[in-house]
Amino acid sequence: MPLYLPIAELSMNIFLVIGMGAVVGFLSGMFGVGGGFLMTPLLIFTGVPPAVAVATESNEITAASVSGALAHWRRQGVDVKMGIVLIAGGAVGSFIGAQVFTYLRSLGQVDLMISLAYVLFLGSVGGLMFLESVRAIVRNRKGILPAPKPREDRHKAWIHALPFKMRFRKSRLYISALLPLGIGMFVGVLAAIMGVGGGFVMVPAMIYLLGMPTNVVVGTSLFQIIFVTALTTIFHSVNTQTVDIFLAVLLLFGAVIGAQIGARMGLRLKAEQLRALLALMVLLVCFKMGFDLVVEPTELFSVGDAGAH
Amino acid sequence: MKQLVAIFVITWLAFGSAAAALVTDLSNKRIEIRYSFDGADLILFGAVGSSAVDPVNDDFDVVIVVRGPETETVVRQKKKVGPIWINADSLSFPAAPGYYAVAASRPLAEIASDAAFGSYGIGFDHLPLLARTERGLAAPEPAFRSALFRLQASKDLYRQERDQVVHVGEGLFKTDIRLPASVPVGEFLVETFIFKNGSIVARNRIPLAVDKEGFERAAYDFAHNYPFWYGITAVIVALSAGWLAGVLGKK
Repeated sequence: MPLYLPIAELSMNIFLVIGMGAVVGFLSGMFGVGGGFLMTPLLIFTGVPPAVAVATESNEITAASVSGALAHWRRQGVDVKMGIVLIAGGAVGSFIGAQVFTYLRSLGQVDLMISLAYVLFLGSVGGLMFLESVRAIVRNRKGILPAPKPREDRHKAWIHALPFKMRFRKSRLYISALLPLGIGMFVGVLAAIMGVGGGFVMVPAMIYLLGMPTNVVVGTSLFQIIFVTALTTIFHSVNTQTVDIFLAVLLLFGAVIGAQIGARMGLRLKAEQLRALLALMVLLVCFKMGFDLVVEPTELFSVGDAGAH
Repeated sequence: MKQLVAIFVITWLAFGSAAAALVTDLSNKRIEIRYSFDGADLILFGAVGSSAVDPVNDDFDVVIVVRGPETETVVRQKKKVGPIWINADSLSFPAAPGYYAVAASRPLAEIASDAAFGSYGIGFDHLPLLARTERGLAAPEPAFRSALFRLQASKDLYRQERDQVVHVGEGLFKTDIRLPASVPVGEFLVETFIFKNGSIVARNRIPLAVDKEGFERAAYDFAHNYPFWYGITAVIVALSAGWLAGVLGKK
């Protein structure tokens, strides 16, 4: 059944859209990730203009993060003060990202930037995640338990040397506000140019760089993602008019159903097996994007509108 | 509507005045894009009168050109830079038609000479098209020009030698006009040319409008005229849909 999307200005099969939402929702429910890094490339592969894919996916991630954030909120799993600092950084980053996005779109280089960003970040994050999970699987087989680090040694010396220290009670941290501001800003840029929530960068940064306790990491990152993707949606709406609400709602509809099934499947697998599978999937998307950049295209020419005027 | 057109054409044939040699009409002069829009097919009817040709005794050819609204269109060419392929060169056509279709009663080469089509500016090779260069508007580089036609043709937006004009008889002819789902909105022009012995003996033009309607129009206008409020709305929709999904998901 074709459905005309008035903002994207193209006709798509409604079942294909809901199906894509369901598949990505299934995977994100299973692995406990946002799924933006899968959805945006998938939309681009099916012929949605990259600018529309990125902006619309920001809109969908806002929706997809709400219920998770609420659940963590009820469990006291959100460090609001840390979240606000991360959001402040994210707002600046998202604004910068959206400006860069608009500028590159007018030059016809936005597709290249999206591909390069995906190859770079998915490649490095996926690679690290894969190595780490393989190491964990091998350790479990041999029955070795890693010695836990003492809490005082969590931070490197340069982190303690930063100014503007702030106390974050819920995370039991006393660190410079510059660090979460910087992380938030970096994630905000990624959100605006890649159409992702940025959890795949933010969660490791919160654990390994900030040393936040794991019980507040996911809730706080979802809290930040809601606000930053909402801002990103507004920036893209104003700059390029590429947010398609209808596409976003249909994708969400599929994703909600898929996530329910995925979450049940995920319970049957071990955490490090899940991480290894997720890493493989991340690397697969990365390779596909990289492959398309390196291989000579069959059609060297492309046609587009003049972009942002 | 089709019946109406047919009645109109037949009436005209019966009482036709000598002043108008050619009449045409469309089965639908206004295409509305709604949620279920997946392209549209229209029928063009036309008839020639005896002042131009004697439809009963003379052979004549029909060429129909449908042209969509002109928009700035950029063609880009990828080049290998280091290990990767990136958009390197680009050429901007400030007024390329968003839709361009040529239908004819015979292959174009059999109707008139290339030079004749050239002088009328009909067909992929002859459509007047300028590109923006450093020295102002100029004839485009052939590689980019042909890429524009090739790419637009692959999207069904440019069509030539694919749609047939059918002679019904008694000077009456018809053709199908196919608009794909990605057709641009705006004012279209449908031009009909009657060829005899390789040159034009009659021509006329009628307008055709393609526009988004109802909800689709409202959403598009809202997004483009009030982008900030559209963004706010998108966020509110997402927040409530996400909340609702969470509530339903628990059950």
